[in-house]
Amino acid sequence: MPLTREDLKTLADLARLDLPEEELGRMEKDLEAVLGYVDRLQHVDTKDVEPFCMPSRVEGWREDVASMCDEVTRETILSNFPTRKGDLLSVPAVFDKKKGERG
Amino acid sequence: MSKPLNELTITEASDLLESGDVSSLDLTTACLDCIKEMDGAIHAFLDVFEQDAIDAANRSDGRRAKGAAEGPLDGIPLAIKDNMLVQGKRCTAGSQILSTHVAASDATVVRKLRDAGAVFLGKTNMDEFAMGSSTEQSAYGPTKNPHDMERVPGGSSGGSAAAVASHMCLGAFGSDTGGSIRQPAALCGIVGFKPTYGRVSRSGLVAMASSLDQIGPMTTSVEDAALLFEAIHGVDPQDQTTSTDAPAFVPAWRDDLTDVRVGLPRQAWGEGMTDEVRDSVMAGVEALKELGATVVDVDLPYADEALAVYYLLMPCEVSANLARFDGMRFGLRNEGVPLFETYAATRAAHLGPEARRRVLLGTYALSRGYYDAYYLKAKKVQTRIRAAYEQAFRDVDVLVTPTTPTTAFRLGEKLSDPLAMYLEDIFTVGVNVAGLPALSLPCGKSAGLPIGMHLVGSWFREADLLAVGRAFESSRT
Repeated sequence: MPLTREDLKTLADLARLDLPEEELGRMEKDLEAVLGYVDRLQHVDTKDVEPFCMPSRVEGWREDVASMCDEVTRETILSNFPTRKGDLLSVPAVFDKKKGERG
Repeated sequence: MSKPLNELTITEASDLLESGDVSSLDLTTACLDCIKEMDGAIHAFLDVFEQDAIDAANRSDGRRAKGAAEGPLDGIPLAIKDNMLVQGKRCTAGSQILSTHVAASDATVVRKLRDAGAVFLGKTNMDEFAMGSSTEQSAYGPTKNPHDMERVPGGSSGGSAAAVASHMCLGAFGSDTGGSIRQPAALCGIVGFKPTYGRVSRSGLVAMASSLDQIGPMTTSVEDAALLFEAIHGVDPQDQTTSTDAPAFVPAWRDDLTDVRVGLPRQAWGEGMTDEVRDSVMAGVEALKELGATVVDVDLPYADEALAVYYLLMPCEVSANLARFDGMRFGLRNEGVPLFETYAATRAAHLGPEARRRVLLGTYALSRGYYDAYYLKAKKVQTRIRAAYEQAFRDVDVLVTPTTPTTAFRLGEKLSDPLAMYLEDIFTVGVNVAGLPALSLPCGKSAGLPIGMHLVGSWFREADLLAVGRAFESSRT
């Protein structure tokens, strides 16, 4: 299943990565090599084989309760926000458009 | 005592603390002095906590003076890989996107070590988000191998390995998703131990591939590895995968290996390793025989397939785990319009090339039309790989291979060929795919460069595995 440049652009969009053309070219080559290697799995007989699932504890869910933290911890969490207004996380507007963009 | 204090094993240092012959401040100062002297060239540390370490050492000495020491690790100076949270300290995971991120709490492992009285010297360098086998993928520059400064220390826990090998700390912690504790341990000539999946909590570890990640110790002796493992293992409500029904870990040291069956997987001992590595590890196997072990060839199919499974499942999980680094709630943000541009510009600017490569690969393997052929197929082959190990462990107690196909390679040598870098993991990834415990031990040198012997044990039988490792180690000294 060869990867096309268009496939890579779509993947980069899906992965939220704004990559220049030249890097897409390098990635095309790198991914081809890796996909060529992993293709050997297609020759393993997996008829009637269940996909592996790591057993983990299912003896009930944790109570959904807020746990409190001290002031230093709280301030550390807030200080990690890229931008903030007071104690609130500030994020870019969701529906803003580029100048001249319509719709 | 002729050995400098920073060159003691943890076990030796612990005895001297207990007898009052040294203080934690002596040990900590010796390590900090070594860091000052050597780390400019080696670059094992991203951050050193000099004053905090001295304060913690003084507190430890105070406890001991009152007869209230917490145990064997009280006052022992250690280093922590920079993907584990230490409260109030920067945690970058080797990535630029987290260059300003400060941990709000301790990782479970760090909290347990803190409660045991350990002294934290600093955070060690690593490949970005633990993705790499050379520590060259760190956004903060590579770490050098203490045995040859023109060579890599391995990765991704290369900073921890180099710090232990050059005695800048008495022990360190790494994380292992496909070999990231064992491979750098082998290339730097130290002990690296990856416990069974489910033994150690990953709460507070920056996630790479959650179904494979495991934290473990990197030390200068097997006994030290057991001591550190004992301190960090156990059930944690914050990590659902920590096992509640695992047998307790009780070290059971032994001097001879009578009744121990050692398996050499035929498929692993074929092509694909240098003669020096083969000879050195084979000499190690001979030493196991001399200790009384029975050595047999075993069939362990799917060695190449395990690497293929790994390089599908891991990027799939990476693409999901790294989705949180979008510039919104933490990390750096490059603001653009519309919102999509903010995400895409932030991630492209601040995730490194290997992270971008694996995110793309994972996105591809999980995308519509490819999921069945890649992800689902890999999960099915994983079932077969686990079954193959189960079969092998019906006949033997440990499996032995080299840890790596070669000794430490040169800086830059494999940087432009991702597949060549991935093949570094050929002997180590199967263990993560199957969730097994494994140990890398120094077993010799070639042209001054260390070689590692890889011992794999059965699920939750860490005590047996470490006992074989220690018997081997004792026979060498």
